[in-house]
Amino acid sequence: MVQPATTQSNARIPLNQLKRGQRATVDCSALTELPERERCLLAAMGMADACKVRVCRSGSPCIIQVDTTRIGLSRELASRITVTLCDRE
Amino acid sequence: MAEASEGAASAAEGDESRPLRVALLGNPNTGKTTLFNRICGLRSKTANFPGSTVESHVGSALDGATPLELIDLPGIYGLRLELPESKLCLDCLEGRVTGCDPDAVLLVLDATNLARGLALGASVLRRGRQCVAAVTMTDVASRGGLSLDMKRLSARLGCPAVAASGRSGEGIGQLLHALAESAREFRLGQQSAGGESLQRTSLAAARSAAGVPSSEPGSRESADWAAGVLAEVAGSSSAANDAHDLMTDRLDHAFTHPLLGLVTFAAVMTALFGTIFWLAGFPMDAIDALFTSLGGLVERIIPPGLIQELLRDGIVGGIAGTVVFIPQIALLFFLLSLLEDSGYLARAAFAVDRNMRRVGLPGQAFIPLLSSHACALPGIMSARLIPDRRDRLATILVAPFLSCSARVPVYVLLTSLLFQGRPFMAGAAFVGCYLLGATAAFASAFIARKTILRGASRPMMLELPPYRIPSIRSALIAAGDRSLMFLRSAGGVILAICVLMWWLQAFPRASESPETPVAANAAETLPAPTEAEAARAQRSASFAGMLGRTAEPIFAPLGFDRQVTVSVLASFLAREVFVGSMKVLVAAGENDAEMDEGTVAAMREAKRDDGSPVFTTATSASLLVFYVLAMQCLPTLAVTRRETGSWKWALLQLGWMTAIAYCAAFVTHQLVVAAVGAP
Repeated sequence: MVQPATTQSNARIPLNQLKRGQRATVDCSALTELPERERCLLAAMGMADACKVRVCRSGSPCIIQVDTTRIGLSRELASRITVTLCDRE
Repeated sequence: MAEASEGAASAAEGDESRPLRVALLGNPNTGKTTLFNRICGLRSKTANFPGSTVESHVGSALDGATPLELIDLPGIYGLRLELPESKLCLDCLEGRVTGCDPDAVLLVLDATNLARGLALGASVLRRGRQCVAAVTMTDVASRGGLSLDMKRLSARLGCPAVAASGRSGEGIGQLLHALAESAREFRLGQQSAGGESLQRTSLAAARSAAGVPSSEPGSRESADWAAGVLAEVAGSSSAANDAHDLMTDRLDHAFTHPLLGLVTFAAVMTALFGTIFWLAGFPMDAIDALFTSLGGLVERIIPPGLIQELLRDGIVGGIAGTVVFIPQIALLFFLLSLLEDSGYLARAAFAVDRNMRRVGLPGQAFIPLLSSHACALPGIMSARLIPDRRDRLATILVAPFLSCSARVPVYVLLTSLLFQGRPFMAGAAFVGCYLLGATAAFASAFIARKTILRGASRPMMLELPPYRIPSIRSALIAAGDRSLMFLRSAGGVILAICVLMWWLQAFPRASESPETPVAANAAETLPAPTEAEAARAQRSASFAGMLGRTAEPIFAPLGFDRQVTVSVLASFLAREVFVGSMKVLVAAGENDAEMDEGTVAAMREAKRDDGSPVFTTATSASLLVFYVLAMQCLPTLAVTRRETGSWKWALLQLGWMTAIAYCAAFVTHQLVVAAVGAP
């Protein structure tokens, strides 16, 4: 059951449900949902397990920031990446 | 060590006389190409290494008297990703690509994104190549409160590290010297006992002992190591980064907004293509004038005859037909390079991606398709921006459907013919031509992606680089590079086809007008044959004319008679030839002076052999639809062949477009005949 982004800070939710400005941690198991080709590329771009992300544009497609890298992600990908919302936004 | 030995068995090229070779490697958007352009300037060219479809650049430089050969490899995120650019880089490092076996690697690291660059750097370092690290964007990092200790970085990487800027030229001399030293050391090591294999193994072992991980970017081990190095060499960043993020957020919000983003995109593209149409017009007119003068010069210094015609119409005409495209190609790539460098192009692709996906194309396809409205050649060439092969092929296949500038004279002529005295209707028809072309392109892309190019597209995963002031130098080099590439790849084919087309229209020669007594007596009362009449007679008697007569039954269902069929075939080389053909076709019996002003009126009066009008409403509409959709541009075929690497795709493009054009023209003819009630 997917929890709304604002109800529980430690809930695991799909990345595309985050709001603009929210920060989250990518779940260790999140990327395994993706095809290997996309998973490896995302990881090499900086979006590895347990990395912190910030949402620059919410929705589908969305823009997220990992460290100083901004990545545009399609709905197809963002909806399959689960994250844990950080306590401090 | 396993990494280092992986390619050790590969044969070194062994040519010790060649310049020391350096491969540039790094993440995308690190300023790698700007650095390459700064070092090599105009001494560079595009290269496609054997077995790879990915483009690289090869250039040369001097460190004192030591010549260096530099290879700018494509930007990558990792060496082992399932991407052609990753494969090329890995193969180069392992010495598996002829002409790309480096003596040293220039690892380009972006100071504002150092951790990611270091993660890639680790996997490169462990391959046992001599390396030099160039740290770019140190000025930007410094403004963000980040300073880097190059000595510590050098110690952690086990190779020289130099702060260098492709924009200002800072550190270039030091970098070249370090590269020459490292490459020379590698070359010497090749000659010692154990050679390259031993040298690479020991280098990889030393780096392993220093803690450099062998894992690929994205792994925990690699990320931890990169974070550790960053913490050691970098001071803390200040709030300036947050201010920068805020500005980037605001710009991103505007440029990628579902509505505002599309409006901005439309405005930028209108400005882009407006500039291209307007600015390129001046040099194109100058090129036209230059080659017209050259043609005149040929007429003056070569006696009339076959040689003169071959030089004037075949050679000079062929070269003119190639060179005339250069201003548009150069200008397009100059402006695209500025847009790409600024960071906007990635946002534009993001903004239109969702809409483009509906027809099976990615957001990046919009640039090539829009470019094709100026000319399909640069449009097809800019399809290289599209990473996925199927997406790229689909874009190339449908790009020529978009109405290019060469179609404009034909549209003007035929819409004027159809709607004389009704400018509003003529304008609406003109817009309709553009819409018809775009519809055919998107429908064809959809069909292609569902049939011959079936398969899932890669979902969008697009890095949005930081906004930066674009480099004029890099844009100028990109424009020159693309123009030369076009001349090299398509120029020869276009020239050969021009000569062939000239031959088809020049042979066999029409017999001279018989000087019969009756004709001689009538000479005072009948006007002498005009040049247009002579040209028409020659064309009728030529192989092209024979082809026209042979092909007449094929085009008859479209309402074309023999004369129109010959004009359509004559414009197979380039569709704009049709207007000139029409002038020749309808000029019979007309005064030459009136021809230019009254071409449309003369076309209305033109008669078929049976006395019926050549250009009925149905024929004109059918002809217009045919020209909107038909290929009729051999340079496009030549460029498609080059970009796809196969004639198969070029011929498929020709066949598909011709079939669509024929069917649509036939339907149009039938519909108009049914509506108007007369053929």
